[in-house]
Amino acid sequence: MNEFYNKDIISIKDYNKDQFEKIFDYTQKIMNLDPSSRREICKGKTLSYLFYEPSTRTRLSFESAMASIGGNSLGISDISSSSTQKGESLADTVKIMSIYSDILVLRHPLDGSSRFASEISTKPVINAGSGTEEHPTQAIQDLFTIKKEKKKIDGLKIGIIGDLKYGRTVYSLLSGLGNYDVNVHLISPESLRIRSDSIYEIRKKLSFTESTNLEDYIEDLDVIYVTRIQKERFPDEEEYLKVKGSYVIGLDLLKKMKDDAIILHPLPRLDEISNDIDKTKNAKYFQQAENGKHTRAALLGLILNENGF
Amino acid sequence: MQESELMVRRIKEGTVIDHIDEGKGLQVLGALQIDGRDGSLITIALNVPSGKFKKKDIIKVENKFLADDDTNKLAVIAPKASINIIKNYKLIEKRRVSLPNEIDRIFRCSNPDCITNSHEHIESVMDVMDKEGRVLKCRYCGRVLDVNQLKYN
Repeated sequence: MNEFYNKDIISIKDYNKDQFEKIFDYTQKIMNLDPSSRREICKGKTLSYLFYEPSTRTRLSFESAMASIGGNSLGISDISSSSTQKGESLADTVKIMSIYSDILVLRHPLDGSSRFASEISTKPVINAGSGTEEHPTQAIQDLFTIKKEKKKIDGLKIGIIGDLKYGRTVYSLLSGLGNYDVNVHLISPESLRIRSDSIYEIRKKLSFTESTNLEDYIEDLDVIYVTRIQKERFPDEEEYLKVKGSYVIGLDLLKKMKDDAIILHPLPRLDEISNDIDKTKNAKYFQQAENGKHTRAALLGLILNENGF
Repeated sequence: MQESELMVRRIKEGTVIDHIDEGKGLQVLGALQIDGRDGSLITIALNVPSGKFKKKDIIKVENKFLADDDTNKLAVIAPKASINIIKNYKLIEKRRVSLPNEIDRIFRCSNPDCITNSHEHIESVMDVMDKEGRVLKCRYCGRVLDVNQLKYN
């Protein structure tokens, strides 16, 4: 039996390097398969999604991933059109959705929502973003992209830039990087530094520096991971305006980077990366988004097939 | 009999919580909801000289025997405390407090955006990450709690 079979994906902290490598191998296998063989992997299986927060890429990449391996998707992407508006609890909604499907994908604004849902659901739950806490499948696609583009993860110098306080992808990525021998530099405005109460385990596994000045590190970085300032999570708009546009990756900064440095972003982007970067060889954020479809297809295939595929 | 014990009246039936970390006595009272409203005799001594820890707080409370939840709260607030069970003026049991591997229900997660603070039917679970350092982490949102600013359910 494969170790991912029938298991939830709640936190990236639950995985080790060997498991990441296995997921990467299966992702590559998915990418190499011809479309008709691929469609056999989850034939007749149904994914249900429940999105309490807006999403474009994550939801569509799950749908697209499921379709690519022959499965179906159904769900709620606009919570205002669901029974939640009548006051139905998350627990009841999850219970019902798990009846209608083989696997449930949840995005919710509260931290810990996916772990709670996994206790309620009779089917495996995938966390597609829980508050400011975690976004594990994003981290898996990020790690896969780094490995694919740089041919390794160990030994790299990685800068994570932007909103480190509210950006959930950052916490999952750091936890994932804790399994590798990397140098991490966290660069953010002072008010958006990483939350100290959320990195207890990360600190034990990963050493990192913190700074407000991107230019001090830009020349050394192999990977530049840029994040959006999460306007919707600021308690006060004035505070947002103070840090809006703090870091912008443009052609001027690109000149200072290593020639083979890669630029990643979990997307959506606002003004953190200027559009003229898109066509450069260093811009890998669209490939990163595409890889998300394949890593998610691999995860779905592993969770839904006892003997893998 | 030591000088510190002479300062507070003996109790017939109940609990003496001794060796409470200096200055934590009132916090322990609040956490254990010992408020005297039931008419029981309660004696509190703060900053009592103690050979072991220089100073300590002591609480004597009549007709109360601590439940597991109370002991767990005590272990977080005052890890050096000892619990003495008194029956008919005699000490019949003495035990040190110690943190379990997990603490259910009694503490609220300090993160307002944690699912355990929502209207969902869910109780808090804190995993004890470091017993000596008193590091508690919410099992749901993963945040580490500040043990000096705990809120109780």
